[in-house]
Amino acid sequence: MTALTFELKHTPDQRLDLSPLVPAKLAGLNRKEIEALEIGTTRQKLTVGAAFKLKGKDANALHFVGTDDRCDKIGAGLSGGEIHVEGDAGAYLGAGMKSGKITVRGSAGVLAGASMAGGHIAVSRNVGDQACGVAVGDTTGMKGGFVTIGGHAGALLGERMRRGLVVVGGKAGDYAGGRMIAGTLLLRRGAGRYAGYGNRRGSLIFMEKPRDILPTFSDCGVMEFDYLRLLEQWLRGQGMSVRLGARARRLMGDMAVLGKGEMLILA
Amino acid sequence: MADLKLKGITIVETFAEAFPMVGTRIIITAPTYEWAEISARTMTGFATSVIGCGAEAGIEGRLARKETPDGRPGVAVLLFTMDAGKLQTQLRNRVGQCVLTSPGSACFSGLEGEKKLKLGASLRFFGDGWQVSKVLGGKRYWRIPVMDGEFLCEDKVGLTKKAVGGGNLLVLGKSHGAVLAACTRAVKAMAEVPGVITPFPGGIVRSGSKVGSKYKGQIASTNDAYCPSLKGAVKSDLPLNIEAVLEIVIDGLTADAISQAMNAGIHAIARGGSREGVTHITAGNYGGNLGPHHFHLKEIVG
Repeated sequence: MTALTFELKHTPDQRLDLSPLVPAKLAGLNRKEIEALEIGTTRQKLTVGAAFKLKGKDANALHFVGTDDRCDKIGAGLSGGEIHVEGDAGAYLGAGMKSGKITVRGSAGVLAGASMAGGHIAVSRNVGDQACGVAVGDTTGMKGGFVTIGGHAGALLGERMRRGLVVVGGKAGDYAGGRMIAGTLLLRRGAGRYAGYGNRRGSLIFMEKPRDILPTFSDCGVMEFDYLRLLEQWLRGQGMSVRLGARARRLMGDMAVLGKGEMLILA
Repeated sequence: MADLKLKGITIVETFAEAFPMVGTRIIITAPTYEWAEISARTMTGFATSVIGCGAEAGIEGRLARKETPDGRPGVAVLLFTMDAGKLQTQLRNRVGQCVLTSPGSACFSGLEGEKKLKLGASLRFFGDGWQVSKVLGGKRYWRIPVMDGEFLCEDKVGLTKKAVGGGNLLVLGKSHGAVLAACTRAVKAMAEVPGVITPFPGGIVRSGSKVGSKYKGQIASTNDAYCPSLKGAVKSDLPLNIEAVLEIVIDGLTADAISQAMNAGIHAIARGGSREGVTHITAGNYGGNLGPHHFHLKEIVG
């Protein structure tokens, strides 16, 4: 069976809420019923059929083609199955998802992976602010899962994150790992200012020395961490070749809060 | 009785009687093979028999860098006891005292099982609040600060209730040297079989026992029927020309693994032929009423 494909017909004149288009909600629906689903966000009624051209049948593997940054909530609350986005994604990509996999060939907007609990999101290009942060109405950020960002991440990456792993290929914005409770950020090209602000138990792993380090992070010196070897091996198992080695400088903080978090700066 | 002969050595038509056990496998890694092995040997020391040691344990084999979770040289260790509670205690004490303490070591689960034992989940408390939990791919690991950096330890390890203990071979020969050489070869051959260990010193036991004793409180005593020096005094199972008997005891994660190990062992012993001085290969049993696993030598060689 070929993947159920949603091809955007033309740029919509309102933001779209695509959260109904996840495998669990589409299971058992026929083409007509899917086309009748409402995805508008204004008083102007908008259905799937009006915005998208549908192809394919397999509702467990969804494709979005030609989407742009107004296509919000793609894969939000996903609980299994796969979604592939050939284009950009709007806000709330995979927010609150529990399992499954989302791949985006373009960029994603704000709050990608916000408060997600499990599964895997892979964005080829950039993500907006508050990626893996706190979804509106929630109390904590990402609670589990794995997110890879090929490009840059906006401000407040992993805000109040509690568990999970985020790998950023480019630069992260200001306040990366801000108020982080736990979890891991692997930043390949550094971050903006105030990284780890209010970090309690989280780990920020820097492959390049960050320009600014908050004064509330205490230097513990350089040593070997077998954890970095384990992480490198695990990432290799996920098809991601990252050379971490084992030696890193450890800074503990944020001492202004609990202070059991860390920055590991590869040495 | 039509006994089978292998290169002139009699394979006695009998069976090894073995018992169900619970077992687990852990992976110890270190900066070098040498240090992984030191750690594993220490952890599996004094673990020949559940009767006096509380557990039976041994090194299953070496693991190459690409086979270990952290990409360092490693060793796989098997640990067996009679029930899950004792296995938990033995695992905690042995890993806590012998692996956690070993320079540069890390410890990982080597077995997925329906039930789990605590590994890092109990050792983490050594970190006194400075321990760090990390979850990767659904598995939790503990980073426990120690004087040479961090001890990395997986949270849980699987256990199997399908393990089998007490698979065995008895090797009879006309000289001590011949029997020892043949058994040494057999242990080496068995070490190549995955999922088994030979827990006794160098894999070989010279003091096979029988159940009970003439002395009150002594639960096991020397197997007089196989003691060459008592041939004339007891109901001996040994022909008069036998000078020495050695036994190889095998514990395995599955009954199948034990069969394979016994097969490898018998063929390794027979490689020397009767000219080396080995005369019989037999096995120990209690008449078949005690243990549910019967490994018939004839079928195994088959």
